Amino acid sequence: MTGMTGLTVRKRLLGWLADLALILYFVFALFPIAWMVILSLKPANQLFSTYFSFTPTLGSYRTVLGDSEGIPFVRFFVNSLVVSVGAVVLSLVVGLPAAYASARWRFKGSENLMFTLLSFRFAPELTVIIPLFVLYQKLGLFDTYVGMIWVLQLVTLPLIVWIMRSYFADLTPELEQAALLDGYTRKQAFFKVALPLVKPGIAAVSLLAFIFAWNNFVFPLILTSNEAQTVTVGALSFLGGDRPKYNLTAAAALVSVVPPLLLALTIQRYLVRGLSFGAVKS
Amino acid sequence: MSSSRTAIGLRGIRKTYGKTTALDGLELDVKEGEFFCLLGPSGAGKTTTLKTVAGLEQPDSGTVELDGKDMRGVEPYDRGVAMCFESYALYPHRSAYDNLASPLRSPRHRLPAADARDRIAAIAELLGIGGLLDRPVGQLSNGQRQRVALGRVLVRPARAFLLDEPLSHLDAKLRQQMRAELKAIGAVQNTTTLYVTHDSVEALALGDRIGVIRDGRIVQTGTREEIWYQPCDTEVARAFGRPRINLLPGAVAADGGFRSADGKVELPISAAASPGTEVLIGVRPRDLALGEGPGHELTGTVYVTEVLGRSVEVTVRLGEQHVSLVAPRADTAGLRPDDPVRLTVRPENLLLFEADRPERPGRRIGR
Amino acid sequence: MGWRLTLRPYVLIVPALLLTCGILYPFGLGLYYTLFDFSASKPQPDMVRLHNYETVFTQDAFWNSAWVTVLYAVGAAAVETVLGVAVALLLHRSSIVGRVLEKILILPLMIAPVIAAIMWKLMLQPSVGVINHLLKPFGLGGVQWTDTPTGALLSSIAVDVWVYTPFVAILALAGLRSLPASPFEAAAVDGAGWWYTFRRLTLPMLWPYVLVAVIFRFMDSLKVFDIIYALTEGGPGDSTVVLQIRAYLEAIRFQRYSFGISYTIVLWAVVYLAAMVLVRHLGRIQRKAAEAK
Repeated sequence: MTGMTGLTVRKRLLGWLADLALILYFVFALFPIAWMVILSLKPANQLFSTYFSFTPTLGSYRTVLGDSEGIPFVRFFVNSLVVSVGAVVLSLVVGLPAAYASARWRFKGSENLMFTLLSFRFAPELTVIIPLFVLYQKLGLFDTYVGMIWVLQLVTLPLIVWIMRSYFADLTPELEQAALLDGYTRKQAFFKVALPLVKPGIAAVSLLAFIFAWNNFVFPLILTSNEAQTVTVGALSFLGGDRPKYNLTAAAALVSVVPPLLLALTIQRYLVRGLSFGAVKS
Repeated sequence: MSSSRTAIGLRGIRKTYGKTTALDGLELDVKEGEFFCLLGPSGAGKTTTLKTVAGLEQPDSGTVELDGKDMRGVEPYDRGVAMCFESYALYPHRSAYDNLASPLRSPRHRLPAADARDRIAAIAELLGIGGLLDRPVGQLSNGQRQRVALGRVLVRPARAFLLDEPLSHLDAKLRQQMRAELKAIGAVQNTTTLYVTHDSVEALALGDRIGVIRDGRIVQTGTREEIWYQPCDTEVARAFGRPRINLLPGAVAADGGFRSADGKVELPISAAASPGTEVLIGVRPRDLALGEGPGHELTGTVYVTEVLGRSVEVTVRLGEQHVSLVAPRADTAGLRPDDPVRLTVRPENLLLFEADRPERPGRRIGR
Repeated sequence: MGWRLTLRPYVLIVPALLLTCGILYPFGLGLYYTLFDFSASKPQPDMVRLHNYETVFTQDAFWNSAWVTVLYAVGAAAVETVLGVAVALLLHRSSIVGRVLEKILILPLMIAPVIAAIMWKLMLQPSVGVINHLLKPFGLGGVQWTDTPTGALLSSIAVDVWVYTPFVAILALAGLRSLPASPFEAAAVDGAGWWYTFRRLTLPMLWPYVLVAVIFRFMDSLKVFDIIYALTEGGPGDSTVVLQIRAYLEAIRFQRYSFGISYTIVLWAVVYLAAMVLVRHLGRIQRKAAEAK
C-alpha cells in the first residue's frame, strides 16, 4: 500500500503500542503460572542451581500424587471434590426454589432474606468461623464433610440465589402463565417451561459456585485438620517443614488449580453476571 | 347465535398494583357465543381484565363468573379458557409445532398424537403458517409469531377465548385479511370470545358488541351502532371514526338553541338544557355534506384539503373553529384555500355533549 | 385459594430460610461470646459485658491492624481499578492480539488466592526466587521483598492485583460492550479527539460498571485473609497484620475465642458501614449516568 498518510501511520503505531501494552500485562498475568510449571518439572537437585535450563521430570507430581512426604494430597483432592460438589448441590436444591419465589412474587420477608444472603457475601468469614470452630467441636462436626458443606453455604448459597433470581426475573412470567392456560399445573409449568429456559444459567452458576467453594481456604484451614482437609490447605503444607520443597509445592499448587481453570474456561460467557452477583449483565 | 346466557361475568372487580389502580369496580357481561371487543387506550386495564378472567391475576375484590359459576379459588388450568398474549408468550426453546401442540399434550386437553397432528395442520393452514411449523420460534418474524400464538389458542377446545391484541403485529395487509377471516373460523364462531384491542376500526369490524374501557372501568357497552350513534361521552365519540368527530364548543342560548363560543355558528338542538349551559356539539366528518341539501346550513371558508384515496378530507374554517368533513373527490374539485363553502348537516346527526371537564369528559345529553 | 396463594412463596423459601438461619446462628453465637471472657484456658467463662471491645479499641495493635487494612484495601482497589479499566480499554479495541488474550484473561481470577500467594511467595524468595534473578541484569538483585515492612505490604497488594485485576477488567469490558454506539458516532462526526471522547463519553457512561467492580474489590480486600496468611503471615513484625489475620491469631493461635471474635465483629461493622456508604454513592452515580445518557 503506497500513499499511506501520516495519520494512518500514526494510527498503526498506536495500535502496536496498545498491543504491546496488552502483551506486557499478560506477561505479568501468565508468568507466575508458567514459572510454577517450570518449578514443578525441576528435579530437586537443580531446584536452586538453575533457573530456566534443567532436565524436566515428573518426579514432583509422582511424589505429590503418591502421597509421600506424609501429605495425603490425593485424599485432599477428593475431599475438595466432595465438599464443593456437596455444597453446590445443597445450595441448588435449597436456593432454586427461593430464587424463583423471590423473582416471581413480592412478599414479606423476601427482600430481607435476599439482603441477608447478600450480606454473607461481604461478611468477614472469621465472624462465623470462630464460633463454628467452638460449636463444631461440641457437635462432632469438626473435620467432617457435613461440617464443611454446611459452612460453604456461606459462599455458594448467596451466589446461587442472587444469580438465579436475576435469571428468573429476566424470564417473563407470561411464559408460565401461557403454560397454565395450556392446561399444565404450576409445577409442570416450572419444570417444563421456566427451568429449561434458565438451564444455561444454572449450569454456569453451579460451576462458578463450585470454583469458589473449591478455592476457599479459610474454612478448611480452621474447621478441618486431616480427614476433611482440602487441596488449598494441603498445597500450603508442602511449604512447611524444615526444608522448603519448592518443586513439590509448585506441583501441588498446579494440580489444585486444574479443576477451577478448566471449568472457568467453559463458562466465560456467563462470568460477568456471576462475578457481579447479577448486577451487571453481558 | 348469541343466546342471552352470560358466559363471562365480571362483578365489581378491583385490582391495584401498589398505588396504581388497574381495575376500578369493573363490570362486564359477555354472552355465550358472542364475539365481544374490549376497546381502550393502553393502560386502561384491558390486559388485566383478561388475566383476571383467566385466573392469572387475583382481584382485590369482586367476583369472576364463568357460565354462572364463581371462579374464586379455581386455578387457571381448571377454568377452561384459552388466552393469546400480546407478548405472544411462545416457548422460545421449542419449535412452532411444539408450541401449537403444547395444549394438546397437557393433562387437561390431551389428544392422541395423530389427532393432534391433524388438528394442528388444519389450524396452521387457516393461519397461513403451515410451512413454518418446523422452525424454532426464534427464527420467526413478529407477525409469524403472533399467528403461532393465536394458533395455540385455537387448536384446543375452550369455554372462552381471550385474545389480547392478537393482530397488532401483523403488517397492514395481512391484518385486514386476518380480521376478515378470524370470525369465519369455526372455532371462533362456536366459542365465546373476549377480544382486546386499542384499534377502533378492528373493534367495529369484529365485535358483536363492544365495551369501551377507561381507567379500569367499562364506560359504555353496546353494538357498533349504539356506540357509533349514541356515544356516552365525548371520549367515546372521539375514539371511533377517522377523521375524528368535530366537537364545537359553545353554550345553550336564551332561545334554547346552540351558539358557538365565537358566536359564528348557531344550530337548533332538540335536548332540553337550561340556557347558559356550556356544551359541545358533535358532528362526524362523514355526516357533513358540501353544498346545498336537507338539514341545517352552515357557511365557512376552506382551510385545507387532503386527498384520502377516492374521497377528500376538507378542513373548513367556521368562525374561529375548524371542522373537517369527508366528501367524494368529484364534489371537491376546484376547492382552494379561502374559498367560501356551504355545509349541511341533518339534525339527527347532531350530538350534544356537556362541556369537557378536567375530571371527566363531557357526557352526551342529547342527539 | 387465598391462603394457598399467599403461602406458596413462603413454602418455596423455607429451606433457604432454614439454611440461612444455620449460618446466622453461629454469627449470633459469636456476638454472644464477645460478652464473655471465653478462651481455651477458661472454658467456664464469666460475663465481662463490653470489656472485650474496650480492650480492642484501646490496643495499639488494633489501630495498627486497622491502618494496615485500610492501606491494603485502598491500595489494592485503586491499582486494580486503574489497571483493570486500562486492560478493558485495550481489549475493547479488539485487535487480533486482544482477541486471543481475552480468552485467558480470567485465569488468575480462577486460581485460589491462597495458591496465588504461594506462587508469588516462591517467586519473591530473596535468594533463590526468580524475580530477583530476572532483576539482576538491571542491577536490582537481592531485594528483600517480603522481609521488610513496606516490601511485605506492597508484595501482598501485588498478589491481590495479580488475582483480581481481571475481575475489574471483565466487568469494565462488559460495560464497554454495552455502551450505545450513537454518542460515539456523533462524537466521531464532530471530530472529537480520543481524550475528549474518553473523558466526556466513555468514562461517565462506564462509571457505573466500574463502580460495581470497585465496591466488590474494596469490600473484599477489607477482609483479606488468604493472601496475607500464605505470603507473610502478618509479618515481618506486625507490618501486614490486617484485621482478619489479627482475629485469627487471637482466636485460633492464642485460643482467646471471645477476644478474637470481638475483632471480627468490629471488622464486620466497618465493612457494613462502608457498604452502606458505597451503595448509596452507587445509586447516586448511576442516576447521574442515566441522566447523561
